[in-house]
Amino acid sequence: MCKKLIYVSLVVFCLLAPMALSASSAEVNFKGRTLSILVNDTHVQVVDAWKPLWERETGGKINVILVPYMGLSDKMWIEFRTKSGTFDTAAIPSTWLGDVAGGGHVVELGPLLEKYGYPDWDDILPAIKVITKWAGKTVAFPYDGDNHMTYYRKDALEVPEYQQKFRQKYNYDYHMPPKDWDEVRDIAEFFNGWDWDKDGEIEYGVAFIAQQKTQAQWEILNLIAQYATKAGPSSNTTSNIFFDADTMEPLCNTPGWIEAFTRIQELTKFAPPGLLGYGYAEFRFAYVSGLAALGFDWGDVGIMEQYPDEYGSKVKGKLGYGPLPGAKKYWDHVNKKWVEKEHQVNFLNFGGWVWIIPKATKNVDMAYHWVTYITNPDRSLLDACGIHGYTGVNPFRKSHFDPAVIGLWERGGWDPDAVKGYQKAIVDILTDPYAVTDLRIPGCEKYYDALDTRLAGVLAGTTTPEKACADLYDDWVRITDEYGKESQKRYYRESLGLK
Amino acid sequence: MKYVYRKHAIKWFFLLPCLGYLILMGIFPLAWSLSLSFTRWLGTIMEKPEWTGLTNFRDILFKDPRFWSTLWFTVRFVFLAVVIQLGIGLGMAYLLHNNFRGRNFFRVLFLIPMACPPIAVAFLWKMMLHPDIGVINSAFQMIGLAKVKWTTSVVVAPFTIVMVDVWEWTPFMFLALLAAFQALPLEIYDAAAVDGASNFQIFRRITIPLITPVIVTIVLIRVIDAFKLFELVFGITSAGPANATESLSFYVYLTGIKWFDLGKGAAMSWIFLLIVLGISLLLLSRFRKNI
Repeated sequence: MCKKLIYVSLVVFCLLAPMALSASSAEVNFKGRTLSILVNDTHVQVVDAWKPLWERETGGKINVILVPYMGLSDKMWIEFRTKSGTFDTAAIPSTWLGDVAGGGHVVELGPLLEKYGYPDWDDILPAIKVITKWAGKTVAFPYDGDNHMTYYRKDALEVPEYQQKFRQKYNYDYHMPPKDWDEVRDIAEFFNGWDWDKDGEIEYGVAFIAQQKTQAQWEILNLIAQYATKAGPSSNTTSNIFFDADTMEPLCNTPGWIEAFTRIQELTKFAPPGLLGYGYAEFRFAYVSGLAALGFDWGDVGIMEQYPDEYGSKVKGKLGYGPLPGAKKYWDHVNKKWVEKEHQVNFLNFGGWVWIIPKATKNVDMAYHWVTYITNPDRSLLDACGIHGYTGVNPFRKSHFDPAVIGLWERGGWDPDAVKGYQKAIVDILTDPYAVTDLRIPGCEKYYDALDTRLAGVLAGTTTPEKACADLYDDWVRITDEYGKESQKRYYRESLGLK
Repeated sequence: MKYVYRKHAIKWFFLLPCLGYLILMGIFPLAWSLSLSFTRWLGTIMEKPEWTGLTNFRDILFKDPRFWSTLWFTVRFVFLAVVIQLGIGLGMAYLLHNNFRGRNFFRVLFLIPMACPPIAVAFLWKMMLHPDIGVINSAFQMIGLAKVKWTTSVVVAPFTIVMVDVWEWTPFMFLALLAAFQALPLEIYDAAAVDGASNFQIFRRITIPLITPVIVTIVLIRVIDAFKLFELVFGITSAGPANATESLSFYVYLTGIKWFDLGKGAAMSWIFLLIVLGISLLLLSRFRKNI
């Protein structure tokens, strides 16, 4: 009887399985149609990973338009202006949404979310939901959670002998990860210029992205977030670092900013000689090759750490992770005074990459399907946890941090303890309701280019922090005037969640 | 009468496609960009341009120090690069003009850099010049020399750009000058030798005057081309460190394409064009006196 039942079940299964499969593929049929995807080098691995499966399941074809990071905005803006339908969807930094959505170049997704549904919207972390919106409307798909964090070498900072020597020199015990930028400075100085991991090579104290036009501005913002504001509900005085929200006066010439510039300039003394040539790629490769004790970056370093073969990692299992260092004081720009207080502010550097659909595309349905296909909880987890290698995608869903999926992270090359530390560092920042949001107003690229340029002068030692901040202030005032002070103020306040 | 009319009509019939193409692809974009230069058009957020007259030109020339610093870097780059390329190209052409074993091999070898795409050259050199892991600094270390901050020092980086440009474009000078050398009439040299002129005198008094028209031409071509310096800056230094290697065309690219400030970008392009035209005419007029 039992055997019979099994046979019948098998027959039924064999008959129904193909029907079920055909039913799932019958949901969408893009046969004969091509979806053009604009993507930069960092994220092409995600597209490459899912492209064959998506094509097989939908019958559609994918045309990948691959550009370097520096060429991404060129390609995008030319399409937006010419409306020629060059691409149907693109992965872009969320900080561009001020221009992209503010200029009305992308499809509003609200109606599409209602029509087609979305794979578990509630699973998206709140901080990530924020970056997909512009003027209260959803204009982009979440795809990546971005924030800087502290990386430190456990095989340096955890060695009792070194800790003792440090105590003798500086008269205190450092924290792991360093608690504030004073500790960062001292640790960087202490571990600079000698072979502390005994590999026969000289190591350095600290490394970070410093090359011009390769995202170095987000490194200085790590310090600015600590010295120019305090954490709190977004307002003019709390969790606000760029402009006075009441007057749109740039805050970049305040003592808080100058302090940050001064400190980062000092850190260059404890960095590898090629620091100013470190773009994000160079920095990551250098750091996982074991060159420095401390580093500050997005979650990408953690992924690359796990791959000795692919990325030359010599630090697998040797990295510790933590939030950004805090500060012992911050500048109160309203009352114009320093407030002496040990504190720490999280900052959503870059915010994260998002997918957008340009208005000119005729393939909205395909684009929508593609993005929801790759960003659903299961697939996005494979991109974030390291199974697909370095994809540029960092965790952005609650489910990515679920202890039940820790096994997948382990398959991605992670040690169970390490992944817990890594996840904690990220989730603490992304779930912080008081984390400072990145600049998201029209002209953002221009503001950031000015910041990047002035920072480069400080890092190279060709200008003083005071002069750099004063020049930057002039730059930002000019840019604000170009775009219209009142409208910029409105957008800025909106980006802070203020009326 | 009818015959003349038909003759003219046929001429115009054949000319029209070319003229049409020229107007569409050359004149119209120029006129369009000129009209754009008198407008304010932030292409990211503005649907249409707004007429602002000469505001862009005033802002660029009198309120934008970055424009002048990029122009100054570009002028220094052009001068250094072209002078060095001419010097080395002349020397190489002179050497390889003479018959010796393996001459053809060297001729082909010297042409390779010019055949490489500039952006590939830029990334190739970027890797080789990397201060920490570049092959050049590694070689320096192996022979006991200090590492050089090729791309990360504000002093060295501009010369690095010149060095790579010299590597890439000296073959062009060499090729043109070699052709000039080979076209020189031998009789004059024989006569000079009979008169007892030294090699240097022959070179200074005969060779140089005879090849001056070629030199003028190639220098002009190189000056115009070098003014458009972009790929090396984009690929090797990204205009850094501290904007020390930002060329004018890179700044135009940032303004017009990257930030989509179309009005200002167009105005900057026109100023750029006028500068290059001015320098070319100046060079031409000065050289003409010597021809």
